[in-house]
Amino acid sequence: MFRFDPYSPAIDADPFPYYRVLREQQPCFWSPEAQMWVLSRYADIVTALNDWQTYSSASGNLMTELPGRAGATLGSSDPPRHDRLRALIQHAFMKRNLLALEEPIRAIARDVFGQLRGVETFDFKDVSSQFTVKVLMAALGLPMGDESLASEQEVRDNAVMMVQSDARTRAKGPEHIAAYQWMQDYASRVIALRRAEPRNDLISHFAQAEIDGDRLDEREVLLTTTTLIMAGVESLGGFMMMFAYNLATYGESQAAVVANPALLTDSVEESLRFNTSAQRFRRRLMKDVTLHGQTMREGDFVCLAYGSGNRDDRQFPNPDVYDIHRKPRGHLGFGGGVHACLGTAIARLAIRIAFEEFHQVVPKYRRVADQLAWMPSSTFRSPLVLDLTTAA
Amino acid sequence: MPHITYVEADGQATTIDLPEGWTLVQGALANNITGILAECGGSCTCVTCHCYVDEARLAELPPPAENEAAMLDFVAAERRPNSRLACQIRATAALDGLRVELPAHQE
Repeated sequence: MFRFDPYSPAIDADPFPYYRVLREQQPCFWSPEAQMWVLSRYADIVTALNDWQTYSSASGNLMTELPGRAGATLGSSDPPRHDRLRALIQHAFMKRNLLALEEPIRAIARDVFGQLRGVETFDFKDVSSQFTVKVLMAALGLPMGDESLASEQEVRDNAVMMVQSDARTRAKGPEHIAAYQWMQDYASRVIALRRAEPRNDLISHFAQAEIDGDRLDEREVLLTTTTLIMAGVESLGGFMMMFAYNLATYGESQAAVVANPALLTDSVEESLRFNTSAQRFRRRLMKDVTLHGQTMREGDFVCLAYGSGNRDDRQFPNPDVYDIHRKPRGHLGFGGGVHACLGTAIARLAIRIAFEEFHQVVPKYRRVADQLAWMPSSTFRSPLVLDLTTAA
Repeated sequence: MPHITYVEADGQATTIDLPEGWTLVQGALANNITGILAECGGSCTCVTCHCYVDEARLAELPPPAENEAAMLDFVAAERRPNSRLACQIRATAALDGLRVELPAHQE
């Protein structure tokens, strides 16, 4: 019998053959292991993303939710509260407001990727995670240098740990909860610092914001800040790993973007479609829905398998081919609907600059290992280690 | 499914069947209508899905919410009384036959 267990290491390693079976044979599938329905076709996922009244995020959006988080963050709330919360934050992430970050991001990229000069073999994660944390700190205005509250390494390690889940218990383990608590504590110290001495940065503004005359409640400020740090570090870092993995695997694509960096923009979009790190999110039904002959009941959880919708040949011809010239409009790499990723513009900007600078130093590289160790996570997918070598 | 017609700045018109509940952005992205960029994925944060709604039918649409009204100040092409963001217009049976024109540039 076909099974789809988002906690199994086989799914962490390669979910795509399972997605194909889901799309072709069981497009509305009940997974006993996940205790939720799984939607896998592009059109069904888009329909769900557009209908937040039916497919609610207020009970949490991560496949394996963190305790006490649902309802207090952007991704885990519904309109109208969601829209007001988002309005407070989104102006900082609009493309036109990010221009000032371009030069600082380039300086970070030169510094970080410059370390690879003369190095033959390296783990891409060492550089991508350094880059990600520094960019996020600059973008959110997290304390750095003399006022720093934690090392970059700690921020990074905890962000990566808190999104993982335990394959055996199908839940968050003590180490994942501890990382989540560490991040909340860190966020709360940042908020206190910025309240005491506000600056012109995102967290200072957010910590003092009001919605319709009510100050945001502490839980919203704390958990939204915690989530911005987690999402910034893990999603940007995870995607960079997947993009490097694709370019290291598909040598012709790598040669093309190194020779012509203008192709990076389209290559990033194709990677977002092909195998982005944000593979699956969840919703909860606010009423009964019948789809493909199955009736899903009010209160049931539903997995939206973005990674599968992105391989649906009803929408993307030859979906299993990585084609940097495809221009895959409407891909689900950033989700969609009211909850579409807040960080699309900064992610696109940071990744383009990162790979321009990386390729200046390392113009040709390949993977060392055929088999990789994949992160245990029901929501995200990226390799734990990505050893690359410049040796022929 | 309601028929929706998108008219690109060069005059090229494309009519699609848009499932009810889908937004005009999703219809454009799924049908390769290039005059809509929708860089943010349709969450009303990038203003690259600006469109001009057929004036005769403008009143049939729910008016822009506060969020959309504020964002319309930032559209790249000329803002007109019938300017809307396509990500905020949802297909219903009543909108069958709606035509929207797309500006020459979105950013």
